[in-house]
Amino acid sequence: MATEENPYTQHYFVQKGDTLSKIAREFYGDPMLYPKIFEANRDILKDPDRIKPGQKLRIP
Amino acid sequence: MLKKSLFITAVAMLALAAGCANQKGPATKAVGDAEAALAAFKDDAARLLPGDLSGVETTLTGLKDSLAKGDYKAVLAAAPELSTRIAALRDATAAKKAEWEAATAAAKEKWTGFAADLPKMVDAIQSRVDILGKARRLPRNVSKEAFDNAKAGLDWMKSQWAEANDAFNKGDAIDAASKAQAVKDKGNEVLKLLGLAPSA
Repeated sequence: MATEENPYTQHYFVQKGDTLSKIAREFYGDPMLYPKIFEANRDILKDPDRIKPGQKLRIP
Repeated sequence: MLKKSLFITAVAMLALAAGCANQKGPATKAVGDAEAALAAFKDDAARLLPGDLSGVETTLTGLKDSLAKGDYKAVLAAAPELSTRIAALRDATAAKKAEWEAATAAAKEKWTGFAADLPKMVDAIQSRVDILGKARRLPRNVSKEAFDNAKAGLDWMKSQWAEANDAFNKGDAIDAASKAQAVKDKGNEVLKLLGLAPSA
């Protein structure tokens, strides 16, 4: 089911070398919270270990 | 001599009574007209210009008292000024009502935008607060004080948003839009506290 876009949801463009854990540490202070980002982007991510530079991720 | 004096007194009393009787009708009509004129817009005046209405009603009550006491002369003397004041109040009420209706229309239009926007703002903030609440440490750009203030701000937003909806459902779009604007302003503050860019 597609997530309804919320204009207040933060977004992040994946950079080379990023992982969801690294992004979670940057935005949440805790890398263990990476599943929150994965769940919010299930429409474009199939595997939390596979993200590509340039992907636009929702950061809930 | 005594008979003549009594006769003159009687004639004078009859003349006075006749004069009073002549004034009773116009005085009664003056009070009735004033009441009817005021009744035509009294509800609007009570809502929009209660202070002004109160002054006019006090004067009208005074005239009714004079009428009840038979002081028709006093009623007729004061009636023109009261009539003028009622007409002025009627015009002021009409102007105020037009102003209020325009403000209400504008507030309803704003409300439509707030109703679509603010629940999303609250949801986004709630989501981030919930996630940060589970974090073992906060991100570099969010201090503990900022996070605590953000949580308090979110609680206030939810409470104020509920009040705004209540006001709108009760028909007070102006108050509702004012409260919603306050929610929006607070939301932008909270977004900054959480390191989230406020909407443009």
